[in-house]
Amino acid sequence: MFALGARRMEVVVHDDFTEHQWEDLMLKTALATCAIAISFGLTVPANAQDYPVDTITLITHSSPGGGSDVFLREMSSFLAPVIGANVVVENVRGGSGAKAMADLANAPADGSRFYATTPTFIYTSLLSQPEYTYEDVLPLVNFFTDPEVIYTAADSDYETLGEVIAAAKENLGRWGAANPASLERQALERLKRAADVNAAIVTHEGGGDMMINVLNGTLQIGVGEVQELKSQLEAGQIRLLATFSDRRLDQYPDVPTVEELGYGVTVRKFRGLAAPKGTPKEIIALWEAAAQKVLENPEYRAKYQGNNLRPEFIPHEEYVTFMNGFADETAVFLKEAGVID
Amino acid sequence: MFWTRDFVGGAGTALVGAIYYYYAIQMRVSALDDTVGPSGLPKAYGLILMALGLAIAVIALLRSLRQRSAGSALENEWTGQGIRFARAAGIVAIGVIYLLIVSYVGYAPGIALLLLATALYQGAARNWRSIAVAVGGAAALWCIFVLVLGVSMPRGLLFPG
Amino acid sequence: METILLSLQSLGDVTLILAAIVGVAWGIVGGAMPGISPSITMALLLPFTYTMSPAPAIVLLASTYVGAEYGGSIPAILIRTPGTNAAAATVIDGYEMNRQGKAGEALGISLYSGVLGSLFGLTMLILLSKPLAGVALSFTPPAYFALGILGLSVIATLSGENILKGFAAATLGLMIATIGTDPVTGGNRFTFGSSDLLTGIAPVMIMVGLFAMSELLVQAAGKSGGEKVTSRPRIAFPNFAMARRLAVPQAIGAGIGTFEGCMPGAGGTVASFMSYNEARRWSPNRSQFGKGAPEGIAAPETANNAVAETALVPLLSFGIPGSNSTAILLGGFLIHGIAPGPMLFQRSGDVVYGLYGGLLAAAIALLFVGMALLPVCIWMVNRPKPWLSAFIFALVMSGIYSIHNSLFDLSVLLIAGVVGFLMRILKFPFLPAVLGLVLGYLVESNFRRSLVLSGDDYSIFFTDKISFALLALAAVFIIGALGKRVFDFFLAPPNADKAGDVA
Repeated sequence: MFALGARRMEVVVHDDFTEHQWEDLMLKTALATCAIAISFGLTVPANAQDYPVDTITLITHSSPGGGSDVFLREMSSFLAPVIGANVVVENVRGGSGAKAMADLANAPADGSRFYATTPTFIYTSLLSQPEYTYEDVLPLVNFFTDPEVIYTAADSDYETLGEVIAAAKENLGRWGAANPASLERQALERLKRAADVNAAIVTHEGGGDMMINVLNGTLQIGVGEVQELKSQLEAGQIRLLATFSDRRLDQYPDVPTVEELGYGVTVRKFRGLAAPKGTPKEIIALWEAAAQKVLENPEYRAKYQGNNLRPEFIPHEEYVTFMNGFADETAVFLKEAGVID
Repeated sequence: MFWTRDFVGGAGTALVGAIYYYYAIQMRVSALDDTVGPSGLPKAYGLILMALGLAIAVIALLRSLRQRSAGSALENEWTGQGIRFARAAGIVAIGVIYLLIVSYVGYAPGIALLLLATALYQGAARNWRSIAVAVGGAAALWCIFVLVLGVSMPRGLLFPG
Repeated sequence: METILLSLQSLGDVTLILAAIVGVAWGIVGGAMPGISPSITMALLLPFTYTMSPAPAIVLLASTYVGAEYGGSIPAILIRTPGTNAAAATVIDGYEMNRQGKAGEALGISLYSGVLGSLFGLTMLILLSKPLAGVALSFTPPAYFALGILGLSVIATLSGENILKGFAAATLGLMIATIGTDPVTGGNRFTFGSSDLLTGIAPVMIMVGLFAMSELLVQAAGKSGGEKVTSRPRIAFPNFAMARRLAVPQAIGAGIGTFEGCMPGAGGTVASFMSYNEARRWSPNRSQFGKGAPEGIAAPETANNAVAETALVPLLSFGIPGSNSTAILLGGFLIHGIAPGPMLFQRSGDVVYGLYGGLLAAAIALLFVGMALLPVCIWMVNRPKPWLSAFIFALVMSGIYSIHNSLFDLSVLLIAGVVGFLMRILKFPFLPAVLGLVLGYLVESNFRRSLVLSGDDYSIFFTDKISFALLALAAVFIIGALGKRVFDFFLAPPNADKAGDVA
């Protein structure tokens, strides 16, 4: 409501502009107002001279209020003072990221527009072969990884992952993945193969849908991000059995990794940014510095650790290699499964 | 003469079912598939629609054969429909033209033209007042969608963002 | 009891009441615009809530949902176009009453039922949240499949004179629901390489195309289809006798709405169709349905407003959004750093009580805001026909665009309009298609999920008790409806001209 008020004021002040300038100004003002409002009205860009543009737009394929959207909005308020520009979030929905990739591929490479990447955009690129794919954008830097964990209902019989595997040796196992053709599904398919058991891998329409089926015992285990499970974990309704990350979680040191248990499956659900191709080196360097600085901010640290996000800064060069590796690995998996050519 | 609406409807339905079925059977099979598979239910839907369409058509056919004496019924069935189709097509054409031009002229001018064209087509008076209403209406819609709600409508070549 | 007291106490906060009133008003306006669904109405408001404190922000969004679910009935009655998916069932008797010059009464009944439905749903939400959450938890994939089939069993009622055409329309709806990402493999189906089709076709586009666009086309086509209906600008609330007559259909609507609201994925559209069907089944005035029966408005409108309240059960208890609208609401919570779920009451009890209080204010505000807005709506639809058509067209084209900022969606809308026009010419009913479209994904994904779970053993649908019960009920309904048609076909005395084209 306040943002609206502020916009109106601007309109009155600049009454004698042409329509073009007027419209343009309003949009900028609106964006700026939002950005400032989101950063609790406290932070005015400290060193606005350093960054080449005034307003950075982070686009996400997630809908307003969705996982990536909330994450970005939270991060943008801490990012703005560090990078020295306003940071706003825009939702470019549709096509599970296909629209957002097309948007970014056609955006100017001047550091004004970035796309918040999660494994989804690789999956969409490979599965749907849209006009613009992950190859048409440039991985910039990585900020976080979301640890993927295996969980079961608190009142289930299974205390360890080993028991679940043993049960699946006897009868058809019932394992849940939040989405079809997702990182979670891939992790479970690989675990199934590594353990050489037979399990039905049931896909859902999101983690919430799956949670119900774990809680009511339809599924023996589910795979999800810790931050999605926070509420049920705190209420003691579910129990963590293992994590797919490469080392144990700081918040849950008792939970073993899947690798420790003898099944060589690790997954990294990354959260970073991608830029249009041809983004200048100087801008990339600014982001590499800013990303590290943001992750060290104690106030932000408290927030993201509360959400069980694991800071994992990956500089640009390395991130490009990582992304290509991830895409190749996924492509191999999908090809072996016969989902794509 | 058996081209009653029911017969046409049934035949059309069967055709839609057949086309859909044709695409359903071409769907890719993968190792991630369940037994039913992505094409399982679509194939069933296609067959069901074909069967329903044929049933509707056959019943219509039988009925029209039985009622052959009342031949005038068929006359009424289609008389004057051509002009109705043509008039309806006009509205669709206005919509298609809007789709084609809106990226170039922008939302506000585009929607003003849509308002004016539709109103005139439906018999509004051809005078300055109509133009004023269309422009005013477009301004109101622009205020609601772009200004208040922040929807990024096409901005056009004249006023690019 | 304590919950109620705390909720009422929260109403001391004027900002909550203000948020409820603004939300309801905005919701009614958004819901009443064809092409703008409740979730879009809420999403458009979401950015404004970022800067507000949590409780008013959540109340604002939740009240918008309540307002929008009511608002959808206004164009359903006045211009034969449901403003929201859940108002589709209201078109049948609502528009018929309007045509008979009883628009004021129809609008009065829908408002009265909407307020009652909201109050009932809210009461259930506050008092029975725990047991209702238990019900939601007991539904396994086979049970959801059976629930979907039960919903589809309504087709027979919605089919009008030719049941085969009804089934064909429903199958068409099911087919449209298969477009997009496959629920099990994640592969693409019927997308033909278009990234616009990856996420499927939103029911709202088809709905608006079939109803609003085709109505525009029919009106353009000639006088015979689009008769001039002048709605008298006075809302008439039901008198005592009418209120008594509506009590049973409203009870049916409230019950079904409460139940469907708790089930993630089921939603208001199915609830309103099923309530319409049940209200018809149990009514002594059954023959009046489809010809302007007040019960035909009361039942679905009570149901969809009850859904708007009890849809909060899975959201608050598990943190699971059951629909697009509650997903936006979840976003509203998350933006403020509040995670709905089992710990919500301990952590942020004040926000929950504020939400309950705000929803109570919203239900009451619905009555007054509705009364204030209805004359405006009636004034608008009584404008000269050419301009009314032009503005509906412009509004629909703007609203559908704002879903994904996509021109592609507008072409889907136009195509759906042409299909709707042809369906009217060839006398196919729309409503089964809408029902098939809304339920298609639920039915298919849970059917296949069940079979994956059981290792392709079909007996899972009968060993699961809930699934068995619901399937048995659906079988009874279908056999009953078909049996009656067969009976009429052979044994009932032939009557010359049967009116009652449903859509």
